[in-house]
Amino acid sequence: MAFLNMLRKRLGGLLLVVFGVSLITFSISHLIPGDPARLIAGDRATDAIVDNIRHQLGLDLPLYQQYGRYMLDLLHGDLGTSIRTHRPVLEDLQAFFPATLELALAALTLSILVGVPLGVLSAVYHNRFIDQVARTLAVTGISTPAFWLGLGLIVLFYGHLNWLPGSGRLDEGLDPPRTITGFYLIDSLLAGDTGLFFNALQHLILPTITLGFVNLGVVARQIRSAMLDQLGEDYIRTARAYGLSKWAVILRHALPNALIPSVTVLGLTLGDLLYGAVLTETVFAWPGMGAYVVKSIQSLDFPAVMGFAIMVSFIYVLLNMAIDLLYRLIDPRIGEVN
Amino acid sequence: MKSIFTPSTLAMALLCTAMGLGAWQSASAAVPQDTLMIGKPSDPQTLDPAVTIDNNDWTVTYPAYQRLVTYKVENGKGSTEVAGELASSWTTSADSLTWEFKLKPGNTFDDGAEVNAEAVKFSFDRVMKLKQGPSGAFPDDMAVSVVDPLTVRFTLKAPYAPFLSTLAHNGAAIINPDVAKKAEGADAYLSNHTAGSGAFKLVNWQKGQALTMEQNSYYAGPKPTLKKVVVKIISEASVRRLQLEHGDLDIIEDMPEDQLEALAKKSGIVVGDYPSLRVTLLYLNTQKAPMNNPDARRAIVESLDYDGIINGILKGKAKPLNGPIPQGMWAYDEKLPAFKQDMDKAKADLAKVSPKVSNLTFMYSDKDPNWEPIGLTLQAGLQPLGVNLKLEKLANASMRERLGTGDFDIAIGSWSPDFADPYMFMNFFFDSKLKGLAGNRSFYDNPAVDKLIRESASTNDMAKRTELYQQAQKIVLNDSVYAYLYQKAYTLPMSEKVKGYVFNPMLEQVFNVGTITK
Repeated sequence: MAFLNMLRKRLGGLLLVVFGVSLITFSISHLIPGDPARLIAGDRATDAIVDNIRHQLGLDLPLYQQYGRYMLDLLHGDLGTSIRTHRPVLEDLQAFFPATLELALAALTLSILVGVPLGVLSAVYHNRFIDQVARTLAVTGISTPAFWLGLGLIVLFYGHLNWLPGSGRLDEGLDPPRTITGFYLIDSLLAGDTGLFFNALQHLILPTITLGFVNLGVVARQIRSAMLDQLGEDYIRTARAYGLSKWAVILRHALPNALIPSVTVLGLTLGDLLYGAVLTETVFAWPGMGAYVVKSIQSLDFPAVMGFAIMVSFIYVLLNMAIDLLYRLIDPRIGEVN
Repeated sequence: MKSIFTPSTLAMALLCTAMGLGAWQSASAAVPQDTLMIGKPSDPQTLDPAVTIDNNDWTVTYPAYQRLVTYKVENGKGSTEVAGELASSWTTSADSLTWEFKLKPGNTFDDGAEVNAEAVKFSFDRVMKLKQGPSGAFPDDMAVSVVDPLTVRFTLKAPYAPFLSTLAHNGAAIINPDVAKKAEGADAYLSNHTAGSGAFKLVNWQKGQALTMEQNSYYAGPKPTLKKVVVKIISEASVRRLQLEHGDLDIIEDMPEDQLEALAKKSGIVVGDYPSLRVTLLYLNTQKAPMNNPDARRAIVESLDYDGIINGILKGKAKPLNGPIPQGMWAYDEKLPAFKQDMDKAKADLAKVSPKVSNLTFMYSDKDPNWEPIGLTLQAGLQPLGVNLKLEKLANASMRERLGTGDFDIAIGSWSPDFADPYMFMNFFFDSKLKGLAGNRSFYDNPAVDKLIRESASTNDMAKRTELYQQAQKIVLNDSVYAYLYQKAYTLPMSEKVKGYVFNPMLEQVFNVGTITK
């Protein structure tokens, strides 16, 4: 019951967030100077042409009517039509978002796979050589601009060594797998095409390292600090006293407890990765949301910008819900207390 | 604790690694000789010729469609004169109001359908009905009628001298009328596909990644040497450069000056400089004090360090202007002297302005990185004259809004012609009906000039038109309506393997892929 209540509350909150985000984005889009109709028509167009385009887009209606129209369409699952690409915004988001999500998830996986062991080792070998190495790596990760790292990796692995491709999701001439999830790695495996899978994997390596490296440091530092707290607790000493091996205590007792505060960080990290992917996408010509949103903002394409903002807010709320559920899985006591 | 390194997991890991190595290939395979790879920073917005006004989209649309006329190529160079493309000949009535075009027989669209007068009518009616940006190139009272299957007639209400040139514009593309039968509707279909009779057709568009064009097997012209043209979208300039150096791209667009210098030194790469008709000028707001005083405007024009701007900021990749019509466009007056900095004259002219000018603003945006240093140059030029120039940087959309309403003293901008006629400069820059963003960005209003330029636009006699435009030029130069800074070269780095590229100043970002070889 408690679980259902929480779910109900969160879903109600989700609707409120979407409404709030749509209202704020709509207001901002219409407050900034600039005329999307003029941008489409071109500078040299006569006022009659601009007026015609403004009318076609419904931009000549009073603001409240425009907003009402937008929300009505939104309730029917229609995010409107992009002013710039002339395609439905939903279609554009479906085309670009899976690429961003695939990259963000790959980077998150890298951050976890490297960051968690690094954090654990740093805590266990506190202030020893391995801790110093991990700290240096974490600080470097946090302070390295993705732009710089990405270009450096391209120059080395594409320019000099020719081991990995320099841009895009697949080699020129290869057709993407049939879209099921939108993730090339998964879709190519589902299609049974290992050649395509490895090609997509090759393309994913450098962007993943670039994007993941920054968050790897964050994850490692978070795990280290949580582990240090746990390792100082009485139950650890008790467990050791019972004769459990050092690593059994660390991995079976200390780590699960240290993971609870870290789950929050990991959840928010995914949000950061989705947002931070913009720069990485630019460097690697990764066809994700980054370039699409930046171009949309420059073109005052407010249906596209609003569609993106609503989608991201949706994801943030869902992520937070997922984190709450994860808490319960890691430590069932949390659900009982609530 | 149970180890994960059991014999079975190790064997599994080895197997996966072996499979991986087997499938792993070199990072890049050489681009086939019959494929041209073009790298550009942004994805096209729409491929509908009746909607797009962006040259970035024309890279795909121009070779996919044909038009009634096309720009001539003379000695491997693009010309501002037109020749028939789909049209074999044309006639004009004595009053220049009726134009009749005979179509060449045997031209077909990429699905095998015939290109006929109905298709021409369909295409132009669609442009005028949609009333989007490209419709502005044509007279809005134009009527198109079918005389017979291979003859089409255009009827205008008023004479429009540049009419023939406008038919080579991207918006004048002849579209297959069968698109009307597409399930999603013609407009939706054409924004994502091509349906023309050009040498190439679009076969695949992976949004944000690449557009692939292949030969149109029904193309009636000479068979192209290239089989495939791929436009790759790579937003980061240094990555485009690296891929060109690596041989994965053949041509790259939109490179910053410093990268061009480095590229020019690389073997196997040619950085071509082509004389463009893109001009950069300062808009001097003739409706707002103190710039409404011609002496104040003259002082601005005289205080500018033209040589410093061209050689220092543009690194010599531009030519000075001597008036509104750039070199390379007919009606250009070579007798006019180029502008030069003259601080004594500037001081004298400024002294005539009352009340004394002490503060001015210079409005610019982030659209062109050269605009800020140009503003600083002007600021340095005005400082000894006792004028404090405030630099005001805006987002491009905001700057356009302010340009449209005339809310500035001095602003900077670039202009390039859509069709090969001095009308694009003289009428757009000075006609009082086109004040604001449309063209007359200095808000100039002079009935004598209006009369001259409008008369020039309504006659087909080229000698008379040139004379009228040159008369108007003298007046507007004396009035210092704009400060004409430079005519920039169009720079394009490409692999030395690419042969036969023809630059046309009206068609920046368009490649003659039908005749390019590799």
